[in-house]
Amino acid sequence: MLETSEIKNILIIGITGGLAQITAKIISKKMPGVNIIGIDVRDVGNIPPIPGLTCQKVKYSRGNFEKIFRSHDLDVVLHLGRITHANAASQNVHKRLDLSVVGTNTILDLCMKSSIKKIVILSTFHVYGAYPDNPVFIKEDAPLRASIKYPDLRDVVEMDQIATNWVWKNQNQIKGVVLRPCNIIGAQIKNTISQYLAYKYAPYPIDFNPIFQFIHEYDMAHVIYRSITEVPTGTYNVAPNEYISLKNALKKLETPGIPIPVSVVGSIAGFLKSFRRGIPEYLIDYIKFSCLIDNSELKKHLGEDFCKFKIGDALKLINLR
Amino acid sequence: MIKMLKNFRPRITSEEQKHFDQVFKTLKSRYNEDNPDPWGLDVDTCRKMIDFFYPMYRNYFKVRIFGAENVENKPYMVTANHTGQIAFDGILLTLAFSLDIDPPRILRGMVERFLSSIPFAGEFLAKGGSVLGDRQNCLWLLEREESILVFPEGVRGINKNTDNFYNLQSFGKGFFRLALKTGTDVLPVAVVGAEEAYPLVYNAKKLAGVMGLPSFPVTPTWPLMGPFGAIPLPTQIDIYIGKPYKMPSDLSPDAPDSKINEHVMLIENQIKEMIEKGLPSRRGYSFNILSSGED
Repeated sequence: MLETSEIKNILIIGITGGLAQITAKIISKKMPGVNIIGIDVRDVGNIPPIPGLTCQKVKYSRGNFEKIFRSHDLDVVLHLGRITHANAASQNVHKRLDLSVVGTNTILDLCMKSSIKKIVILSTFHVYGAYPDNPVFIKEDAPLRASIKYPDLRDVVEMDQIATNWVWKNQNQIKGVVLRPCNIIGAQIKNTISQYLAYKYAPYPIDFNPIFQFIHEYDMAHVIYRSITEVPTGTYNVAPNEYISLKNALKKLETPGIPIPVSVVGSIAGFLKSFRRGIPEYLIDYIKFSCLIDNSELKKHLGEDFCKFKIGDALKLINLR
Repeated sequence: MIKMLKNFRPRITSEEQKHFDQVFKTLKSRYNEDNPDPWGLDVDTCRKMIDFFYPMYRNYFKVRIFGAENVENKPYMVTANHTGQIAFDGILLTLAFSLDIDPPRILRGMVERFLSSIPFAGEFLAKGGSVLGDRQNCLWLLEREESILVFPEGVRGINKNTDNFYNLQSFGKGFFRLALKTGTDVLPVAVVGAEEAYPLVYNAKKLAGVMGLPSFPVTPTWPLMGPFGAIPLPTQIDIYIGKPYKMPSDLSPDAPDSKINEHVMLIENQIKEMIEKGLPSRRGYSFNILSSGED
């Protein structure tokens, strides 16, 4: 297991993301003296100052990554730079494939060439897909079926597969952890489900009521931080022990919502998508069928209660957005 | 019309209501907002369903239970024979285990995969405690100390011609391997009297094949009289609960079929014996549906 004393430089890819910044704050607090290099394709000017953190706006090209890897003696890489589907501007699947899949491949290749000790890669539970025959709960070795129905999700699945294969293949040289978190909720998180729940009149199905898992952004950031030193090589689902039905979650949020039969919800999503409001079509299945993940593997390393926040606390953050 | 039917429906007595309140108080302590069920079980919906089906259980089929003392306060894999063309035996067993057996529990029935994708039906079944019939789900349920209801005969059990009534079809092995893996006792149960709900049945297998259905039962009233022809006759039903079958400690869940078969056969025989013992004391039909006792 990697010791904290062995870590001097940490690279965080995707630093403009809310989760990356919280992770940087935790690292800065828990590992004072460690240099944190944050990079992103987006503008880094608005990132609040965090002790030990230096940020750069870079294009995710092989040349730029090589420069960063050469100029810093990196020990740990946190790859949190997956392009979210929630951002309407990034809904072009070719662009996402280029950034998430080709970008990830480049990063992994450079990690191998440099003397990186540990890499933590953020994937998502969406890789399993929302299907009516999903078991409760899905284990890490379940097939990744998301892109079978929605080719739009193939960047997510391919990135996960590249990362998972790579960490196992190179386990003797580099320690690698792939995290598949459930829905991350936070005031600064701009993912699909947060956007959906934040709509005051979010359409919800009257004919289905799936069960959801939500993780608070601080809990998720702590899992990423603890994965650096406490979690051995492997792929891990990340979810708290609690779960809630979609209708109860909307009730807790005091969101009036609009109850609609699911076929109409599908059409509305298509309509909103055409107006670039950012509700991807695949989300319809996630609000129809449960996609609950099993967290027992991660609990073996982080303990039974690795999440400190209750589901209600996480949902409260939606209203703070 | 609905009001008339409601008035005709037997009333639940205040004593029964009091008993229901007690049962659901116990169930609420298990499934509540702090500890919700990941499969979507909702105790309030269960109560509504039980309120709805109770008159059928008590007054129409006049269910009697024998062997309730064999049930302890622990999870079981409740293993029963499948009877009666439509699977109302599952509903009756669920009511029996929640209302008439102490401590009350909601048996988790396994449903076909396609049902969970049907609007409203999927949610309704989940709220009532049903779970998608999947090996992983079964394991999780048993690990969470839930009791599961299984019919190892499968659909072959309910789709029998008259001359095959009460002839057990060969049991599948999957249920036993799962029980073995989780160390859960199998509770053998025999349902007697349900076959008579449709006294003359011919299973039109060729027609079922053309229609893509597992079976197509033809009775003197179905399909001739339409949906009314499918209403089961008010046969009186007895539920026999046998002694729990303990899991052998020296057998692996991955043991070859030949070793598993021995145990499955013993469970099958136990259910067969209970059926044979119960058949002579069947009560026949009772058309007085306002009374909950025997005629």
